[in-house]
Amino acid sequence: MTALDAVSVYTPAFRVPLENLAEPLGLTDIQVRLFRRFHGLDEIRFDPDRSLADLLHAAAAGIDGLRGQEDRVRYVIHGRAMPVVVPYPRNPLHEVCRQLGLAHALTFTVTQQSCASGLLAVDLAGRLLDGDGDPDALALVFTGEKAFTRDARLLPGTSIFGEGAAACLVSTDGPRDRLLAYACDQQGGFDAEFGESFDRFQREYRPSLAAVMRRAVAEARLGFDDIALVLPHNVNIVTWQRLCHLIDYPVDRVVLANVPVNGHLFCVDAFANHRTALEQGLLREGDHYLVAAVGAGAGATYSAMVFRH
Amino acid sequence: MTAPDAQVDVALRQRVVEAMSEVIKRLVQRDEPVTEDMDMADELGISSSLGLELLLEVEERTGIQIDVEALRPDELRTVGQLATFIATHSRPW
Repeated sequence: MTALDAVSVYTPAFRVPLENLAEPLGLTDIQVRLFRRFHGLDEIRFDPDRSLADLLHAAAAGIDGLRGQEDRVRYVIHGRAMPVVVPYPRNPLHEVCRQLGLAHALTFTVTQQSCASGLLAVDLAGRLLDGDGDPDALALVFTGEKAFTRDARLLPGTSIFGEGAAACLVSTDGPRDRLLAYACDQQGGFDAEFGESFDRFQREYRPSLAAVMRRAVAEARLGFDDIALVLPHNVNIVTWQRLCHLIDYPVDRVVLANVPVNGHLFCVDAFANHRTALEQGLLREGDHYLVAAVGAGAGATYSAMVFRH
Repeated sequence: MTAPDAQVDVALRQRVVEAMSEVIKRLVQRDEPVTEDMDMADELGISSSLGLELLLEVEERTGIQIDVEALRPDELRTVGQLATFIATHSRPW
């Protein structure tokens, strides 16, 4: 069993209106209007004064259960979308581990599934803990990154990325949010930044994500009627409206409130939406919920996890 | 899905068809006429992102707001089917 013992999210207070990003991102007027009208974007979060290590540290600082428990943390995994984020030999993950008293932990980063790497990191954390032998062992999963370049900030016609970070304490038997199923579908045919396959990727995006969501729900021995809430990746509003038609699920049970105020925060969306769900009282004890993510770039990855709260 | 013909505002639908035809020709750089029976994806090459641009321009040219939440792109293959949907699922700005 894999369980989320605590989730903490740091989202910068600094937000840039969509229109102010037109010039730096090279967006045309119609692209801006499309993003606002159909994709539901309004403001994007950035933190120009914080490094990646600062973002991760800010997220970890919100986990009360970490202090005094550092020696129990055996693994620290950073799930992120971009393989290269700082010049060698700097290592923001090692830096933040030293700051947090976690230098003893086995520490690594996964990027192979782009924006779905956050869910992969949770799965890996659970597997490592399961094989650890110490039932009290913990893992800390980080997500979050900086959006430095135009390519990192913009998914043309689809979404705009912002900055933020999340930290998640994982155990094997915690009582709060227990993982029931994880489904993942990797499609290497979309490698090399989509290449000639971009149109096919667009056509297959929703059916592929719907299929992996159905698989996760079935593996949890549930139906969509049993899923109280979906915590989406914040790619955009219209994608989720159409996806909900495809799976016959009410869109008002998909937590989309962060799309207009965050933008797409790489692997952080799932955790930011988890926080929002708790803050708004949308999850009750015993509720089942589904987390979905898509990684696009070096191949396509569709992922879904089902938890019981 | 589209509504029965009896509920369609015929004049609005005609304005939508005309707007769609003009916008599609520009989006896909087509000189030949665009007809209602044409398949938007297979015959005209309208991708989902171009489809959103089409909807936005039709909204602005005709002064309506389309109920995109009700839109099921997979069930609206042709220009005529989308025009009927827009005429039955929109309201003035």
